[in-house]
Amino acid sequence: MQRRDFFKKLGTAAAITAVIPAMSFAGDAKPKGPNAMDFDTAVKTITGGKTPKSSKKVKLKVPEIAENGAVVPVTVTVDSPMTASNYVKAIHILDGKNSNARCIDVFLTPANGKAMFSTRIKLGGTQNVTALVELSNGEFLMASQSVKVTIGGCG
Amino acid sequence: MEISRRDFMHIAAIFGLTAATSSFASAKQIEQIGLKDIYQFNSMGNFTLMHICDLHAHIKPLYWREPSTLISAPNLVGTPGFLCGESFAKHYGLEPSSLDAYFDTYIDFSKLAKKFGKMGGIAHIKTLTNHIVKERGKENVLFLDSGDTWQGTGVALKTTGEAIVKAQNYLGIDTMVGHWEFTYGKERVKELIEKLDAKFISQNIVGDDPFADEYEELIFEPYTIEERGGAKIGIIGQSFPFTSTANPKEFTEGWSFGLRLDSLQKYVNELRNEKKVDCVVVLSHDGFSVDQEVARKVKGIDFILSGHTHDPSPEPIVINDTVIVIAGSHGKYIGRLDIDAKNGKVNGYEYKLIPIASHIIPADPEGVKLVNELYAPFDKEFNEVLGQTKGMLYKRDTFFSTFDQLINDAIMDEMKCDISFTPGYRWGTTVLAGENILMDHVYEMCGITYPNVYTFELKGKKIATLLEDIADNVFNANPLYQQGGDMSRLGGATYSIAVANKAGERISKLMIGGKPIDLEKTYVVSSWGGNLQKAGENLQTYKIRPVYDVVHDYIKREKVVDVSNKGNVTLVDYSCGCPPKGSRGC
Repeated sequence: MQRRDFFKKLGTAAAITAVIPAMSFAGDAKPKGPNAMDFDTAVKTITGGKTPKSSKKVKLKVPEIAENGAVVPVTVTVDSPMTASNYVKAIHILDGKNSNARCIDVFLTPANGKAMFSTRIKLGGTQNVTALVELSNGEFLMASQSVKVTIGGCG
Repeated sequence: MEISRRDFMHIAAIFGLTAATSSFASAKQIEQIGLKDIYQFNSMGNFTLMHICDLHAHIKPLYWREPSTLISAPNLVGTPGFLCGESFAKHYGLEPSSLDAYFDTYIDFSKLAKKFGKMGGIAHIKTLTNHIVKERGKENVLFLDSGDTWQGTGVALKTTGEAIVKAQNYLGIDTMVGHWEFTYGKERVKELIEKLDAKFISQNIVGDDPFADEYEELIFEPYTIEERGGAKIGIIGQSFPFTSTANPKEFTEGWSFGLRLDSLQKYVNELRNEKKVDCVVVLSHDGFSVDQEVARKVKGIDFILSGHTHDPSPEPIVINDTVIVIAGSHGKYIGRLDIDAKNGKVNGYEYKLIPIASHIIPADPEGVKLVNELYAPFDKEFNEVLGQTKGMLYKRDTFFSTFDQLINDAIMDEMKCDISFTPGYRWGTTVLAGENILMDHVYEMCGITYPNVYTFELKGKKIATLLEDIADNVFNANPLYQQGGDMSRLGGATYSIAVANKAGERISKLMIGGKPIDLEKTYVVSSWGGNLQKAGENLQTYKIRPVYDVVHDYIKREKVVDVSNKGNVTLVDYSCGCPPKGSRGC
């Protein structure tokens, strides 16, 4: 049961760290807060102007339809050997429409062993979620998926 | 695959014509002519799967008219899952006025209803399944249920599902998955599973409460392995992926649903590589169009027995070597799938969608007895005659149906609201023109565990946004972003819709009370069966009442109801309700 307890704690911790920043700036809040940043600016800031490549090596796991827009589970896994010469330096999770598109930045080293990160983010409405990944060779990879946030209604 | 279905349809068509010329064919004659044709099947292989989906608790025979409008995005319309009426008849080669045309389409429904009578009923289903079991041998048959079984009638609601579990045990269901089952709440679901002989499986329900023991753990067994006819059959359960958005979250608090295609692929691989099964079946409540996407994305599934969208599909569809079948709704059909599988491989199959024509398939006396027993405590309440209907009352269609309009009329009349919303569920009942409306019918239309009609205030702008949101759940071009229902029905409002437009730009000319909607004005809105009240303000708590009581009182007051079939929605980009593939018209 140790593994399970660990994941339980990890899950809780992740939920807390991720939800707080997202909640403060999410939705169509007007006027824009001091940290407002749109998607294109966020990508530019992270990549320093490089164009990220869509890649199957980045696996983004998000639901097609959010069960609860306030806590949408996101898992990013990157196919990488995680050796000193070839590893994932950072995983960034971005959304498309919240006032601050930059949800979270996670920095890794080869010592992480596996390039994987899981969290929950708040989405103010239907939008794309993007995982932007920086590799040790300076390359940027990405994967995106649309997540529908709906009041529901059919059955 | 040989299509025995076509032959049958041909025979049925000939029968249909004969019956039309001598229109007083007695019930006995129908029986003599039809039963053999219904049973006819080129049996093959080493085992048989019998499939039922979306019974919606209809243990008694009923009338159920299929849709006359089934509109979707242009890329989907006219494909299996979005076929109706004339385009359905043409796609599957149905003869006009045949038994199949009566079961599968709305065409001439009133006339054919008089000829062929009611559909479904567990006593009639049982006679058929007994025949199949006898023909194949008990050890070679499995009976699988794709869910939406426990909810949909008064007897289900009053017994919180138990009457239907008894019916399933009588039918001999082996395995099931769920959707509306969950609206009885987690605890009740677990209680009912205790009483159920069948196994309840689901690979896509996982605990998501970090403080619960089940966090990140499966709530149900993901699959079961059964041996039939010397073959090992792996059956993976897939419950409705969008239960927690389509129905109130509180019933399944702490459980997370979703399609979960990654884990589905994992279980397919596990069954094939480790468990060495001969055949992999997914028992699904995803919906017919979503399951076509599943077959494109997940490798190695032999058969998907689908449900949720209520499509009667006379022929299987095959995508990437995965065979997908779906067996209509309301107990109208049993799908029979004979399979030849050994040495880890499926070598062939034969399928037939069998209509449960209650005038042709005799009732099993034991089933009649069980149904009577289950209904007895409620007979007085359910058989109350509330009034009469001039025209046919039906449910289904993409935008409008007469029974829904009647419910909206009742709500508008009592709640004095500007606009009312009722859900676009695909279950319900049909009452023929001139018939009495019973309380039982009202429960069959709105018997849910969250029946309250809420009356509250919404800004015009919000109403417009919500309507667009609902439209995108129905008309999204990607089936994975649909929820498998129809548009919410509106009372007091009219609008035009361009289905093919982008999300958020489909609806125009929205009128409330005959006037164009004022985006800044606050409207009084009534709704039931959805989450709309959560978006509203100033809830009028003193008006809250169950919808079935509201409808009961209204029909009693009206005595005779006369609902126009005109509809309140103008479809801009299609010229008919059942367009064939690639077309905007008929």
